[in-house]
Amino acid sequence: MLSSCLARVVSSDVKHNFLIHYLAAAAVLLATPVLFGLAELDSRMSAQPLEIMPPLMGLILLTPLFSPEQNEGILETVRSKRMSRQLVTLLRVICALVLLAILVCTLGGYMRYNDCDVTAKMLAGTFAGAAALGALGFFVSAFTDNVIAGYMVSIMYFIMNLFLKNKLGKFCLMSMSFNIEGSKPVLAVSAVVLIAAALLFRKLFRNES
Amino acid sequence: MLFRLECRKIIRSAAFLIYCVISVLFFATNYYNDCKGGVYISSGEYKIVEDHDLIMDGAVNMLAGEYTSNKYVCYPFGFYKAVHLRESKQEKIAAYLKEITGTDGKEFEALFSGGEKYYTGSSDQPIYSFDSIPVAEGFSYDRFREIMADVDDMLGGGSYYDPETLVYNYSRVPMTEDEAQAEYDSFLKEDRITGGLARLFSDYAGIDLGILPVFAAAYLTSADRKRRMHEVVYTKSISSFRLVFTRYAALVFTMFIPVFLEMVAALIQALFEYPGQDMDIPVMFTLPTFWLLPILMFAAAMGVVITEIFSPATAIFTQVVIWFMSTMMGSAELCGKIGRFTLICRHNSPANRAEFLMNQDNFIFSRFFWAAVSIVLVMIAAYVYEAKRGGRFNAIKLFGKGGILRRKA
Repeated sequence: MLSSCLARVVSSDVKHNFLIHYLAAAAVLLATPVLFGLAELDSRMSAQPLEIMPPLMGLILLTPLFSPEQNEGILETVRSKRMSRQLVTLLRVICALVLLAILVCTLGGYMRYNDCDVTAKMLAGTFAGAAALGALGFFVSAFTDNVIAGYMVSIMYFIMNLFLKNKLGKFCLMSMSFNIEGSKPVLAVSAVVLIAAALLFRKLFRNES
Repeated sequence: MLFRLECRKIIRSAAFLIYCVISVLFFATNYYNDCKGGVYISSGEYKIVEDHDLIMDGAVNMLAGEYTSNKYVCYPFGFYKAVHLRESKQEKIAAYLKEITGTDGKEFEALFSGGEKYYTGSSDQPIYSFDSIPVAEGFSYDRFREIMADVDDMLGGGSYYDPETLVYNYSRVPMTEDEAQAEYDSFLKEDRITGGLARLFSDYAGIDLGILPVFAAAYLTSADRKRRMHEVVYTKSISSFRLVFTRYAALVFTMFIPVFLEMVAALIQALFEYPGQDMDIPVMFTLPTFWLLPILMFAAAMGVVITEIFSPATAIFTQVVIWFMSTMMGSAELCGKIGRFTLICRHNSPANRAEFLMNQDNFIFSRFFWAAVSIVLVMIAAYVYEAKRGGRFNAIKLFGKGGILRRKA
């Protein structure tokens, strides 16, 4: 009973709210071979597409998760429902992360097929970086109640990574390209902390049950 | 009155706070960090000289290596891409190489079999490199540029043969000690320190100003929609033209405040780094204002007009693409390449005054051009706003209810 209810929530959410974001993230994946050469790269060269494109997918998938309720009318309707909003948000996060993992693995698989030096560890690191950037956008949009602020911070953080390179230390999204050790676990932990903090903030200060 | 109200609204918004934080972070980590301890120009740093023999020699050897390996490295979007050509195009390249080297038949084959062979990455295809392929005596540089332009076209752009970057790629030589000293003297005497620093400051600040204002513009419009302020504003007696322009002016004015404060900080830093030296203080404000204001105006205008016609998300997406094309494509050359229509001008060095002055006309033209484009965009936004207010237009929605790309049930 509960599982079928949750499945209905997910399918309706995906269909009405997030299908376009999922398609946009898939479009980023399809754009990767257009922007980058993805054949016969060594591990260092492989890191470049892996650390530039998946973070974009992460920010497209995770940042807008609060956007449907930004419309006051929808918010009022949603508030009258018994279903926990925190649970719905968590389901959205899980869906986004699962899709992100699929997209990252597809990119990695394609690169391996084309004789690139890509390992499972690199893909895990890629996923951590992408999730961290998405989680940053998610957190900011939860905090400011405005998805555009979420995009603003996450896109600018991404741009800072392109220009500041290793000056961001362990928080650098492109650590494999710039040879920074121990950055990916920090990013993975940051992603979890930011998502948890966003949910906690909404629970405590926005009265979301 | 309205201007003051709008400024106050923007300054109190979360978007403005985020804008300030990001802008200051960019300034501190880039410009401030680079200038800490003063500017240092050492011998061994590269300078660009336009030596045609050097360019032809470098490019033909590079082309010979890539042709023999049939692996051409390109950066069409600022990122690495290896291009492999079909047989017919390879033959065309071979014909060009024969023309440039003035060889044919066996002589050509003998010349191109002497390359150094090595392997890269996980590829089992060998790569060849050459360093002694000669250019035929008296070969004209104009013809050489024509050939290079065609080769670059065949490769899809962004190759090592792009005529625009030939000088940068093949004609850089290390500075001698005297030349480095002369460059430093020019920084001290001709630029009077702040001239060079103002260029570096503008170079860095232009990167974030090319994109940040669009977020603020989109944020404010979406906040208005969320609070359903449109209906309230529509009924007021103020003209649409005046309202849109006042809001735009407030946006540009408030967002220039942090940039101005950063200029002050840069000047204070310069005064500390070069105590008692002769400095042209006004240029630390005039040059960055002239350089950066059109960028800020354009990014804000794009935010205003596209949000008005489509939606905030479309505005952000469009500006991200424009920003990407103006900064990342052709990003190898960070000095002395300013075109007539360059939006984000780059000059990533406090020195190289001569290279900057070489493009001064283009620079001045581009600033006026983008400022004018911005004003036109805001006029369009005012016209659209007026149409929406009169109920004749209701924004073009791409997705969602009533969207033009929505699948009909």
